[in-house]
Amino acid sequence: MSDKLFDQFKTWYEKRHDYARDWKARTGGQVVATMCTYSPEELLIAADMLPVRVLGAHEPQNVSEPHIFGMFCPFCRDSLAQGLLNRFDYAEGVTLTQSCIQYRQTFGSWRLHVPTVKWDYYCPMPNELQSQRARKAHTAEIQRFREFLEQLTGKPLSDEKLNDAIATVNENRRLLREIYEYRKEANPKVTGLEAIYAALTAQFIDKKEHNAELKKVLAALPARKMAREEGIRLMTIGSENDDCSFMAMVETVGATIVIDDQCSGTRYFWNESKPSGDPIKEIAERYCDRPACPTKDYPTHTRFDHVLNLAKEYKAQAAVFLQQKFCDPHEGDYPDLKRHLEAAGIPTLFLEFDITNPIGPFRIRIEAFLETMREDDLF
Amino acid sequence: MSEQSNGANKPEFWRWQENVWADESRDWRAAKAITVGIDVGSVSSQCVIVADGELYAYNSMRTGNNSPDSAKNAFKGVTEKTGLTLNDVHMVVGTGYGRVNVPFSHKAITEIACHARGANYMGGNGVRTILDMGGQDCKAIHCDEKGKVTNFLMNDKCAAGTGRGMEVISDLMQIPIAELGPRSFDVDVEPEAVSSVCVVFAKSEALGLLKAGYTKNKVIAAYCQAMAERVVSLLERIGVEEGFFITGGIAKNPGVVKRIEKLLGIQAMNTKIDSQIAGALGAALFANTLVTKQGALAPIAF
Repeated sequence: MSDKLFDQFKTWYEKRHDYARDWKARTGGQVVATMCTYSPEELLIAADMLPVRVLGAHEPQNVSEPHIFGMFCPFCRDSLAQGLLNRFDYAEGVTLTQSCIQYRQTFGSWRLHVPTVKWDYYCPMPNELQSQRARKAHTAEIQRFREFLEQLTGKPLSDEKLNDAIATVNENRRLLREIYEYRKEANPKVTGLEAIYAALTAQFIDKKEHNAELKKVLAALPARKMAREEGIRLMTIGSENDDCSFMAMVETVGATIVIDDQCSGTRYFWNESKPSGDPIKEIAERYCDRPACPTKDYPTHTRFDHVLNLAKEYKAQAAVFLQQKFCDPHEGDYPDLKRHLEAAGIPTLFLEFDITNPIGPFRIRIEAFLETMREDDLF
Repeated sequence: MSEQSNGANKPEFWRWQENVWADESRDWRAAKAITVGIDVGSVSSQCVIVADGELYAYNSMRTGNNSPDSAKNAFKGVTEKTGLTLNDVHMVVGTGYGRVNVPFSHKAITEIACHARGANYMGGNGVRTILDMGGQDCKAIHCDEKGKVTNFLMNDKCAAGTGRGMEVISDLMQIPIAELGPRSFDVDVEPEAVSSVCVVFAKSEALGLLKAGYTKNKVIAAYCQAMAERVVSLLERIGVEEGFFITGGIAKNPGVVKRIEKLLGIQAMNTKIDSQIAGALGAALFANTLVTKQGALAPIAF
């Protein structure tokens, strides 16, 4: 769009390492590389740290293979490569909350082989979140993480600080959902590419600055006029996706991405924590209650109906699975989730993502998929 | 085998027959609607002329190093044969990987949709599953009775098991590409498939088999079998319905086609039309429908 409304998010995304270095210089705070969106950012923010989610660079690399297998998902390999290539040399800490085993080993390799790491913290989290004991167990783990940070910084992490951090992060979640609300409209005022810039940058920009920018955008959105064609309304489904050039391509061939179920998007910010008077419990339960990653979605598949409801609510006409190659949890869900959506009249397309993606061949697949839903004039 | 050769006068065994054809029983001047489909593929380019909804002429040639030029050259080949010019054409549709680089096209449609439409014309409205074996990719397509795509799958990034791979084997064996299929059946015992259809690895493996005493025919048979197994695995992912039709250059290689049929237990449908023009034919037929529904468009000069 020519109004440049989302340009700050795009700039932050493209210059995220510069931003983190600048933040560190101006605040004197520590930067923490976070892996997986189950990482409780509230604790780090309360400790005056900047959580920066590790994202890949979508460039060919040859540094991760001595440490993790080539059949680990491309996002893990790309993420580890960023550490090994010293792109996160400003991050003192690295933390992971348990989700999948490939991420766990990526974290292990980062901790051992990225020379600038000063401290690391692995936060266990039950994968069987539907167990009656899960919430209690995770609350205890969040408390343990709090104690670790207190010991690390030599400062108490008071309830007051935690409550402030919860309020800031909740506001960020709420504002992002307000941005996403605009995607429900016909010819939405927010494109999929713009939405992904806003959601991704929330994962590494100081939340207060990010909130201020979101408010600015929200104030301008009601008057925004969209000059583009809407085309077919699509949903994207998968683990992580920050391939902005892919998103941009899809939205130039007659489609608008209106919603996602991805950890780079809605799963990161969809729910807020609920007030209970105990900030540790609030934080822990918020992560237990968030839209589930397939690693934490058994024995009942709660995400199938969640995904279908999102598709309906945002009037998605079709869904594209952006499957990170070798991501077993998502690939395991795929056949049933595909059937679930198609039974509800939502056709699907499966694309396998790698560290680098072939835009030309993907474009053919997307265009051909869109042609199956339109072009009745041709017959 | 073509007479063409490179600077060192080395025969180019891979070079397949380029082909210009026109239906001499008809006169395009009598047609109310003349439409053109241009398919710029990674290895070959085709131009098809459809007159009043029926195939009238085509040109099939190798894609050069420039998509717009390949499109123009494919069109020029037909104009020289038939005498029609761009001014006589009512609409042009581009397809293939170079579809957006056809300088005189009014619309671009993917080769997936076009192959399905072309196969529907060639094989009739009973066609339901199409296997397009192209120069550098391979597609399994389902369509309805009108030739509209209902589902499709494409191979992954690499070009293993596609037309270009067959060209490499042709050169390696020093056997003209058109002879590969028939010669693959001239073996004492059907060999196991080569273990890789990766163009690079298969080349090494083929050399290894020759050293181990395989005849050239047996090596070709092993490669044809590997290619058949690869595309069958793609087809099985989408499912094969009755009304199975193969398009693309490899459809002309019985060594691969017969082995696919054996693996699937299904006969591919026959056609008298060159299978390599299916994409361009579909594009021209789409153009014809658009002209019927929306009227002709002024030519875009090049």
